[in-house]
Amino acid sequence: MELFEEFPEMGRSDQRDFKKAIDAGFRNFSRTYGESLESFFDPLLQFMIWFEKLLINSPWPLVLIVIGLLAWLGSRSLILVGGTLACFVVIGYFGMWENTMATLAIISVATFICIGVGIPLGIWMAKSNRVQAAITPILDVMQTIPSFVYLIPVVMLLGIGKVPGLIAVCIYAVPPIVRLTNLGIRLVDEEVLEAADSFGANYKQRLFGIQIPLALPNIFAGVNQTIMMALAMVVIASMIGVRGLGVPVLQAVSNQYLALGLMNGLAIVAIAIIFDRVSQKYGERLQSYRKGHNND
Amino acid sequence: MKNLFFATAFALSAMSGIAGNVYAACGSVSIAEMNWASAQLMANVDKIILKDGYGCDVSIVPGDTMPTFTSMNEKGAPDVAGELWINAVANPLAKAKSEGRLHTVSEGPISGLGEGWWLLPHTMKKHPELKTVLDVLKRPDLFPHPEDASKGGFHTCPSGWGCQLANNNLFRAFEMEKKGWRLVDPGSAAGLDASISKAADRNQNWFGYYWNPTSIVGKYGLTMLDFGVPFGGKENWDGCIVKPEQECANPKPSAWTKSEVHTVITDSFKKRVGPVGDYFAKRIFPGPVMNAMLAWMGDQQATGEDAAIEFLSKHPDIWTQWVSADAAKKVKSKL
Repeated sequence: MELFEEFPEMGRSDQRDFKKAIDAGFRNFSRTYGESLESFFDPLLQFMIWFEKLLINSPWPLVLIVIGLLAWLGSRSLILVGGTLACFVVIGYFGMWENTMATLAIISVATFICIGVGIPLGIWMAKSNRVQAAITPILDVMQTIPSFVYLIPVVMLLGIGKVPGLIAVCIYAVPPIVRLTNLGIRLVDEEVLEAADSFGANYKQRLFGIQIPLALPNIFAGVNQTIMMALAMVVIASMIGVRGLGVPVLQAVSNQYLALGLMNGLAIVAIAIIFDRVSQKYGERLQSYRKGHNND
Repeated sequence: MKNLFFATAFALSAMSGIAGNVYAACGSVSIAEMNWASAQLMANVDKIILKDGYGCDVSIVPGDTMPTFTSMNEKGAPDVAGELWINAVANPLAKAKSEGRLHTVSEGPISGLGEGWWLLPHTMKKHPELKTVLDVLKRPDLFPHPEDASKGGFHTCPSGWGCQLANNNLFRAFEMEKKGWRLVDPGSAAGLDASISKAADRNQNWFGYYWNPTSIVGKYGLTMLDFGVPFGGKENWDGCIVKPEQECANPKPSAWTKSEVHTVITDSFKKRVGPVGDYFAKRIFPGPVMNAMLAWMGDQQATGEDAAIEFLSKHPDIWTQWVSADAAKKVKSKL
């Protein structure tokens, strides 16, 4: 009867030894490889420090001009450029300029890494069912595992600061772009591909000439989700010593400074919306041939 | 469907009736379990003693210094904060006490605790000349900053904690920037702990703020440094060091103020405690015993509850002094 009341669990001491063995294994790994892992990531760390310093130390009008220019190149929309500049002016006026620049630095690096890793991975997944079956559960883990579970081991390996923060942001933000790239390519009409084949298109032509262009709406939905999730991780990243808008949010949370929390939270939102609208406009321009087709 | 509803309602009312009878003596008590090991141990010891010894209906509420204090102050719940570090909440706590909302029932639930600046033992062994904070400040080269190796890195208190202001003002008071130091913000307690673990596991040097009693101190043998200067007076500390930077223009170097930890209960709990009341006043964990328990928790990866049971079964000589003979017998019979 007892068997049904108490779940037959592993003995207490066995369980303890099991946990201790894992911890000891990690400690040995950290002792043996920690140093070399740190030096492997050192160029990335130096680049991020350099980039953050560049953004913070450049005169603010210059930074504004560059941001405006990037927004114009991406969107070709005066309204968006005006809105972007207005947001940054308000952010600067409320004294959040330095933190915003620090956040901007880590988020743009994270977004580029996520897109650079995510799109090829998505293409690979679309190509092979077996790869898709292998990668999907990994993406599930990345999206649902509580971040502190892997953050603390990463800090114990690489130390406090930007690199563990970047890794945390990327782990959380990369899955949507992978998933949506994969989905977008798989949704491309079979008949279109057949037509391409009958014209004798090779793999490269098929991929870059047909599949990716037709998958663009999905891919850009993925870019949007990646950016949003990267910015949502700003606060978590600041819990392991990454500078930026997350730090005042943490201060606000633990001291009930409602206004401070709200202001910095809204600054994160503003950056997210700017990143998103500019990238979406860019995506729309890439697909402008569709509109032309509809208007005929 | 209707039958099921009535059956459920009947079962629930029957259950609550039973519960009400059993626990009538003491009523329901909620105890804050702060998110660090010593407070978790204490909360669970309190829980077992109040539940088994005095027949209270005890629930444990997870908490942290500021949120728990605010909730007790504003909402009157949870009822008990066993280990409340009052330096962080000194002014609002004084106000709440004078207005009768909260009461201190023990002014030192753990002996021998404190905050300060610490070094790892292997650093002290290799550099025996580092005896005080002043000695360490001369050697920023031994403690390279993670982002700028030419500077020394001082691990300050996590963002948003009360101690962050004190650490950053002391950083200015000791003119550490001029001496080649930069602050390292660990972001959170978990980040601070991980930075210590990393340094200890890899034989690197670490210098920063920490506090006792903690499992990290027990586990890695962190040593608190003498500041090399005396305590700079209450005016300097309360009027400047613990204030935001703009309200503290000229901080003077000072040793860390004596930390005060209280056990605080709400007014409504005070009114209904009855015989439990003097338990909290008598309950003092000796510092060495507490550190040994924390190290044990770390080694065994034990939860606060496991540790409380371990403490109660290993140290009856200590805790039986805290409770009535009758309650002691009841607790022992349940262990």
